[in-house]
Amino acid sequence: MTSAGDGNTTVKLPAEALQGQRTSSAYRLALGDAGVQAAVILFLCVLWETVTRLDLVHPFLLPPLSQVLQRLWEDILSGTVFVDLALTLYRALSGFFIAAAIAIPLGVLMSRSAALRWFFDPLISVGFPMPKIAFLPIFILWFDIFDTSKIIMVAFSCFFPIVTATFAGTSAVDKWPVWSARSLGAKDREVLWEVVLPLASPQIITGLQIALPVGMITTVVTEMLMGGRGIGGTMITAGRFADSVGVFTGIVEIAFLGFVVIRSLEYIRGRLLVWHPESRR
Amino acid sequence: MTMAAIQDRSHADSGTGIVIDGVSHSYGSRHGSGVLALDNINLDIRENEFHALLGPSGCGKSTLLYLIGGFIPIQQGTIATRKGKVTAPGPERSIVFQNFALFPWKTVLQNIVYGLKKQGIGAAEAESRAREFINLVQLKGFENAYPSQLSGGMQQRAAIARTLAVDPEILLMDEPFGALDAQTRRVMQEELRAIWQRSRKTVVFVTHDVHEAVFLADRISIMSARPGRIQHVIDVNLPQDRGEEILERPEFLELSERIWRLVREQAISASRGEH
Repeated sequence: MTSAGDGNTTVKLPAEALQGQRTSSAYRLALGDAGVQAAVILFLCVLWETVTRLDLVHPFLLPPLSQVLQRLWEDILSGTVFVDLALTLYRALSGFFIAAAIAIPLGVLMSRSAALRWFFDPLISVGFPMPKIAFLPIFILWFDIFDTSKIIMVAFSCFFPIVTATFAGTSAVDKWPVWSARSLGAKDREVLWEVVLPLASPQIITGLQIALPVGMITTVVTEMLMGGRGIGGTMITAGRFADSVGVFTGIVEIAFLGFVVIRSLEYIRGRLLVWHPESRR
Repeated sequence: MTMAAIQDRSHADSGTGIVIDGVSHSYGSRHGSGVLALDNINLDIRENEFHALLGPSGCGKSTLLYLIGGFIPIQQGTIATRKGKVTAPGPERSIVFQNFALFPWKTVLQNIVYGLKKQGIGAAEAESRAREFINLVQLKGFENAYPSQLSGGMQQRAAIARTLAVDPEILLMDEPFGALDAQTRRVMQEELRAIWQRSRKTVVFVTHDVHEAVFLADRISIMSARPGRIQHVIDVNLPQDRGEEILERPEFLELSERIWRLVREQAISASRGEH
């Protein structure tokens, strides 16, 4: 087929080339960022070690980093660190996913039904600012002192940021793409899946990104309050035995776990939102 | 430029395209105290004609277009096409908006394929037809670009391709070139007229630009300031083939001047009404 486009395409730069340029420069930027961040962490580590080596701080209050890392290495060899990490991660992620599975549909439904909005909006306004951990004794009474009450506690605290972000995102969707889809032949219910959810996805993902650290914090706090295994439980046990190296090893583990989990979510966001201008900064 | 994808409808009889009968519309009027946007509009838009709705901003011309599109419920009166009374949006009355309204999470190709799939066309055929329309609007090489990577003019080409691809009987255009710079706008106007020459769809084109209306349309409805009424319906007796040279022709300038004077009265009363 002949087309007027054939004569004119040569003057335009193909989109692939544009994308290619962007990706390579974005890579260089990302590498530079990672370098600076690593340098900051390295600097703090050196500072920690130096301060303790020079006996500026009592080793009980702040044990040297090298001792902490040595303990971490022993725990890795014995395998206990993996049990703690896995338990904490399992509780945090289970609660997080349960919360997402309830909060995303509810947020969407609230944006589409006035009755649901009237019912849930005041509950969410009251519940969001409330310290969720205050409900822990209730969950212990209702469920158990093991995983169930911890996971429900985590799900409960993750629920609010996700439902709020989903509701805000799906109610603020522009009418123009929705009307476009309708005039191209989409049915009303297809529009929800095919237009509203993709358009609201940046905000929904932001809600998830806020909820996940909340879930991690809640997991560690419940573990500390209820004892047993998991990073929080192990830290509290170490504290009770005046094992300050053990406590600081727990801190390093939390920092590592938090970093990995948050970065994973950022990575997933980038993959899901390749179309969004934010992905091409 | 030959274009297999667009059917030649020039042989079709010029019957009735859209009948607008006694349509009134007011905004924010649950208790009847709202703003009257349209007041008793009666208008027959002929089949296969390029019809421009021209009027000052706020005269309700976009509202009338959205009512034809079925996007907002009709409060009073009826709008009918060959398919019957308008009650909801449908692919036989597809629309192009001023702000393009592409799906930002889909590439240019995926945007066009979406509408074709909604018509029940299989994936392979939808893609090959989408590529034909990408060529038609001269976006070859940008199939896999996301809307946010394109200029305004290119986004509007993609939106026009998406709408033309579903082969609507009626093409609704809501100030489609209003967000473009003057040069791009001129080029897009010529291309739209050329595409219309070949496809002969019924086009309802909303604009406040007199030259744009005269250059593109066969008939122009001039609307009054709010509440919107049809003041005049004017035939544009210019050649069917319209290139840039027509902008200099005396009959073009004369008609533009005449229409401008009619619109000016309305614009003045609109601006007085606002103060």
